[in-house]
Amino acid sequence: MDTFCFGFQAMGSGCEVVLVSTSNTEAQSIAALAIEEVSRIERKYSRYRSESIVSRINAVAGVEGVKCDDETLALFKYADILYSSSGGLFDITAGVLRRAWDFRSGVVPDEETLAPILALIGWKRVERHGKEVRLPLAGMEFDFGGFGKEYAADRAASIMHGKGVRHGYVNLAGDIRVIGPKPDGSPWMIGIQDPRNRERTIASLPLFTGALATSGDYERYFEVDGRRYCHIIHPRSGYPVAHWRSVTVIAPLAVTAGSHTTIAMLKEADGLGFLQESGFGYFAVDRLGQIYHKDV
Amino acid sequence: MRLKSKKRSTLLGTALATAAMMLPSVQFASADVAPERGIISFKYLNYSERQGALGSSSSSSGSVSESKEVEDKIEKESGSKKENAVWVDLVSGASTLTTATPSVVTPSSVSSTTGSSAQDRISVNAYSIMAMAPIAGKWSIATTYIHDSVSGASPTYHTSGLTHMKDTRDVADVQLTHYFSSGNVAVGTSYSKESDYLSKSYSLQGSLSTEDKNTTFTLGGSITNDTITPKTQPNVTSKKDINAALFGVTRVLSKNDIVQLNIGYSKGEGYYSDPYKYYDNRPGKRNNTTVMGKWNHHFDGSDGTSRTSYRYYTDTFGIRAHTLEGEYVQPLKHGWTVAPLLRIYTQTEADFYVATSAAEKANPSVVTTPSASAVYYSEDQRLSAFGALTVGLKVSKQLNPDWLVDVKVEMYEQRSDWALSGHADTALASFSARSIQLGISREF
Repeated sequence: MDTFCFGFQAMGSGCEVVLVSTSNTEAQSIAALAIEEVSRIERKYSRYRSESIVSRINAVAGVEGVKCDDETLALFKYADILYSSSGGLFDITAGVLRRAWDFRSGVVPDEETLAPILALIGWKRVERHGKEVRLPLAGMEFDFGGFGKEYAADRAASIMHGKGVRHGYVNLAGDIRVIGPKPDGSPWMIGIQDPRNRERTIASLPLFTGALATSGDYERYFEVDGRRYCHIIHPRSGYPVAHWRSVTVIAPLAVTAGSHTTIAMLKEADGLGFLQESGFGYFAVDRLGQIYHKDV
Repeated sequence: MRLKSKKRSTLLGTALATAAMMLPSVQFASADVAPERGIISFKYLNYSERQGALGSSSSSSGSVSESKEVEDKIEKESGSKKENAVWVDLVSGASTLTTATPSVVTPSSVSSTTGSSAQDRISVNAYSIMAMAPIAGKWSIATTYIHDSVSGASPTYHTSGLTHMKDTRDVADVQLTHYFSSGNVAVGTSYSKESDYLSKSYSLQGSLSTEDKNTTFTLGGSITNDTITPKTQPNVTSKKDINAALFGVTRVLSKNDIVQLNIGYSKGEGYYSDPYKYYDNRPGKRNNTTVMGKWNHHFDGSDGTSRTSYRYYTDTFGIRAHTLEGEYVQPLKHGWTVAPLLRIYTQTEADFYVATSAAEKANPSVVTTPSASAVYYSEDQRLSAFGALTVGLKVSKQLNPDWLVDVKVEMYEQRSDWALSGHADTALASFSARSIQLGISREF
């Protein structure tokens, strides 16, 4: 019995599938199924893929609706609950803000640039009738990036479990879903990256099963006049959030963990209360480097 | 049990968490959070015995020895249950915390002649409540309370001379475990009281895993102090002290196989006789050695797990016993699990066991007398040579992520002519027992 690790690229980042198996051949065939599931989800939901259902709906925004399959409808339903549970902060129509925020150029947009973009944000305006989903205004767009990766981690883990894997995990760029502990029953130790030093981890959290996800202000950002502008943008102000350096949540599913980290980031100072109420374990570092944690 | 972790009081409390669960097949089994949650469980057990062709009953002075025997089984079984639970976790990766369960079966002796009319003997009703809670991610505390009542009739010699008895027992124990990266340490204490028997016990156990985590060593010790005040001799207080040690090695062989070897040694000194039986004078020392091998195998095809174990026991009374057990746990759809079990047991008689004499065989009301030169002697059928078979079935259903209910039925048959070694006292009546256990548990 050995532990096999398969690295691959998906959703623009480094990913890995780790499983315990008796043979390399078996491990390979199971890992291939898991990796294929991740790329299926990427093909289906990435807004960067023109053939994805998300791109197809975005392409006809303001014109017509698109009939969706059950999986997509389930994800929209989840997005609806994300929106209501976060007081409107987690909005899958907020991705348009990337038109104003170019993290390569490092330019802070002014109010005039942001205003017309903010007018295109609003999950509540999305029309959903039966299986048809329609964006009411030209220029509006969906972005499943907020939970697509986590959903893929859960699905891939589920497939591996279905193939008999009892020890291993799926790690999609830090969104981790554990299938089961190491073969001896001990937990996988998961390092939490130091948000201000790429070479270091600031904590090591044991995980037997369940999932762990981290959101941080260090993934994509630029700094102007000493202020950091990260990729997590408040859907109403149009400006990046600044309260947390990083938020890690441990929950049964990667989708749940990831959604909680994002909402906590978006809620800024209120994020701590939100994490507390969620009942899940968390590990958060605020803008001053102060650490808050519970049950980790 | 590796409970390292987090208490999640409001686990599914938010609409968001629940909504995530509704996404198309992102979750599997119920493996998500079990080992990180607390548990409380309640069990009810009903046990009853039958034995053929017994002699007439005699005095009605209380007798506890028989009940003590049965109750010891209750406790012993619950201990091994916990151990099994750890095992399953390791193999399947899924995890259901099993509880301290009063599950009897194997009253390790009693016996018999082939008699015609069977009679009901001891019956036990036991209730237990067990609670376990993880603390601060690095500790766990578990506590069990058992109340049982025993009533019926127990033989005073061989399988004859029934004495009616009735007693109740209360047992409480608590265990605190600390987990660290390469192992854990547990301290525990237990207290058991019945009308003529008081038992206190303290234990310490540690386990350590190798760097690669494939091998785990366990070392443990316990001290038990018993006080016996027989009802027939109200002014006599006797003591019994037992010190025990255990060493075990668990090794993960493959993704699907785990083997374990345990060696236990126990040294006891004090009052071992049974004050409620005729002609019973046992040595004041009893040391025993136990060697047990276990093998758990997970079947990928069926997702089932087999647990096979063999145990060898030998003691200074001269009893040598072999136990072979096989159990197969099969998870089914909709949260059902079925687990059939088969256990084969055989033991030799104690050196000082006095077999049924020709005179007693001819007339059951005649009591066999030990030879005049004998220093130690006993006519307790539990010290005779016999073989036994247990057949059981456990069915459980996970109602939802929080609630689990189960039913377990076991049938036990014991006969002196089934003894594979030793000298069978074929005049003893055969003996059978049945136990039914109902359980319900909730994780939180």
